[in-house]
Amino acid sequence: MDPVAAARAWLPGRQTVRIGVTGLARSGKTALLTSLAANLLAAGAGLPTLPALSTQLAGRSLRVALAPALASGVPRFDHAAHLAALAADPPHWPERTNSVAVLALDIDIAGRGLRALLPPRQLRLELLDYPGEWLLDLPLLSQSFAEWSAATWRRMETQVPAAEFMRFVRALPANAPSDESLARAGHALYRTALRRLRDEAGLSLLQPGRLLMPAPGPEPPWVELFPLAGDGPLARLLAERYDAYRAEVRRALQEPGFGSLDRLLVLADLLTALHQGQAAFDDAAAALSAVARALRARRGWAWLASLWPALGGLQRVAFAASKADHVAERQRGNLAALVGNLALVDGPATRAFAIASVRCTEDVVWTLDGRPVSAVRGRVAGAARAGWSYPGEVPDTPPDAAFWVHPFLALPDFEPLRVPLDGRAGIPHVHLDRLLAFLLEDLL
Amino acid sequence: MTETRVRPRFELEERLATRLEPESLPALILPGAAPGGPGAVVLASLGVGVLATGLAALSTGNFVADQFARGTVLGWLTLGVAVAGFGLLGAGLWRELRGLFAVRSVDRLRAQFADGARVVHAARTWLAELPEGAALLPAIAAAAGDPQAVLALLRAGPAATLRARSVALGRVAAAQVFAATAAVPSPAFDSLLVGWRGVRLVREVAVLHGMRPGLFGTLALLRRTALSAAVVLATDVALDAVLRGVLSSPVLEHLAGDVAGAGVAARRMVVLARVAHAACCPIGEGR
Repeated sequence: MDPVAAARAWLPGRQTVRIGVTGLARSGKTALLTSLAANLLAAGAGLPTLPALSTQLAGRSLRVALAPALASGVPRFDHAAHLAALAADPPHWPERTNSVAVLALDIDIAGRGLRALLPPRQLRLELLDYPGEWLLDLPLLSQSFAEWSAATWRRMETQVPAAEFMRFVRALPANAPSDESLARAGHALYRTALRRLRDEAGLSLLQPGRLLMPAPGPEPPWVELFPLAGDGPLARLLAERYDAYRAEVRRALQEPGFGSLDRLLVLADLLTALHQGQAAFDDAAAALSAVARALRARRGWAWLASLWPALGGLQRVAFAASKADHVAERQRGNLAALVGNLALVDGPATRAFAIASVRCTEDVVWTLDGRPVSAVRGRVAGAARAGWSYPGEVPDTPPDAAFWVHPFLALPDFEPLRVPLDGRAGIPHVHLDRLLAFLLEDLL
Repeated sequence: MTETRVRPRFELEERLATRLEPESLPALILPGAAPGGPGAVVLASLGVGVLATGLAALSTGNFVADQFARGTVLGWLTLGVAVAGFGLLGAGLWRELRGLFAVRSVDRLRAQFADGARVVHAARTWLAELPEGAALLPAIAAAAGDPQAVLALLRAGPAATLRARSVALGRVAAAQVFAATAAVPSPAFDSLLVGWRGVRLVREVAVLHGMRPGLFGTLALLRRTALSAAVVLATDVALDAVLRGVLSSPVLEHLAGDVAGAGVAARRMVVLARVAHAACCPIGEGR
């Protein structure tokens, strides 16, 4: 255990622990926050909804309550509404969120050993719905404008949704003037291309992230940039804006709201990426690896940050493949290994998981082509009938060319299992308890 | 290798299907949970009680019969004395049991408060036992649809009031202990005095919470606060060390005399009042 964290545990008062929950597009952040809160509240009421957490607690008492609204300007996560949607009959998936939100829980944990004689340890768990788009800005900090432009052009060259933008930038002369109308037109085309690449092609590595998820407040003029090769006047103007953008990213990392995260959870929907094909999977893999590399550089200062929290510092980072209930338990190990492989997981402070925040299926054995395979069975939303799904073999390393011969099946739209007692008894999940036990291990 | 792979597949069942249900949650078994039933000491004490009371009743019966043989008036007089004596004993026992059950009802209420569906029922039951509980019943009825709101009302209302009053009782006891400890001639009496005042304080806090514990009820209360008493001890030791450290200069020691020890004992009363409140109140303090 970190000696500074151990010393903090003996100090009176409620200790705030900030966990950033972020993820590549449509990875299920809202469902995760809803399930996490419901299961923690149920565990606080004595229900064994999080077995791995109960094992770590070893019989010590746990009390959990939703914390009152915070004084900060970050909107509160609407836990009640999202829980009601999942517990409804028929259930609804929480709406996709386009804004930052925070969910705060107060947790009291009885101490072990001599600490049991003292009042319970008080934690305030602040779970910040951190936009995944912003996380993809971290790799920009170590890239020059020319390097970023070249890499972005390479990725966009073959993408149909970016064709219009690529035609525009290729048509620009090498010494294009630093004209505002040119910059604005190029920026508008680039922004449209980013949106289409996200929504139509399902790509994740789309930078700068604040073009897709703007920060609260009026947009500063230097946001209007796009990748451009060369060193003409327009390229120099865009490079200046790029540097201003990076300065803003650095400044935001020191802000109390978004900067001082103690732990981070990065979600990725790798099963959907496997289905969308090699290009989408490679893009997701590149995004995950870029984020992991940027975080690794940042985490190197964690010990200093624990002495001086204002510096910010991630003590633990978890990478989780979401929607793991769409494959059978036998394959979830492979899925966790795959995400660990892509996120370069090593050392005790990072770990990879395969989770489902809201479970939709049950595991079954299905005989296909005369061979028994582990599959899943779930009720298809809107069809009132159950479906059996064997989406394919999940690789534990980045797949080779042979894998793409039989494409991975699309994930069926299964509806969630019935949520007992309107969510008061927790939400059925897959391995969410293991994830939480890792993130909070040193605090329990 | 590719040919041997099973091809991905998805098939819909023919029949309509109901929604999938989660597996039932396993029973929560906490490690180190105490075995149920009364312990050996309780059984032995019960045996002694049954023997003493039963044999005394039989002897009294025989004695009353003998007295009737000696004379009718003498017999009736003896019977009257026996009935009055055993009646008072029975009344005392009944009050003891009521006190004991009242202490145990705290656990029942706590279980109901933890179950969202029974929060309102538990709130009404608890408020009925409290002297000023009826005033909050309309607000509870208005918030009946939201268990968390009901709990918040109870925490902010009666639970907070009871805690404040318990602490006030603790302060009174602290002042008494502070004065008495400084006046008691021998340190050997200190622990006796503090112990007696502590038990009395626990009983006072219990009465404040609508209980009237007798001997057994008080013993049960003290048992409930066993873990909390350890907290008192830990706080006591820490405070004692700090105060004695501050007063370790010979001049200050001379000036302060043994006031540091008295201060620590008095502080213990305030903490004990809080602990007793926590043992008697079915509502946790939340945050």
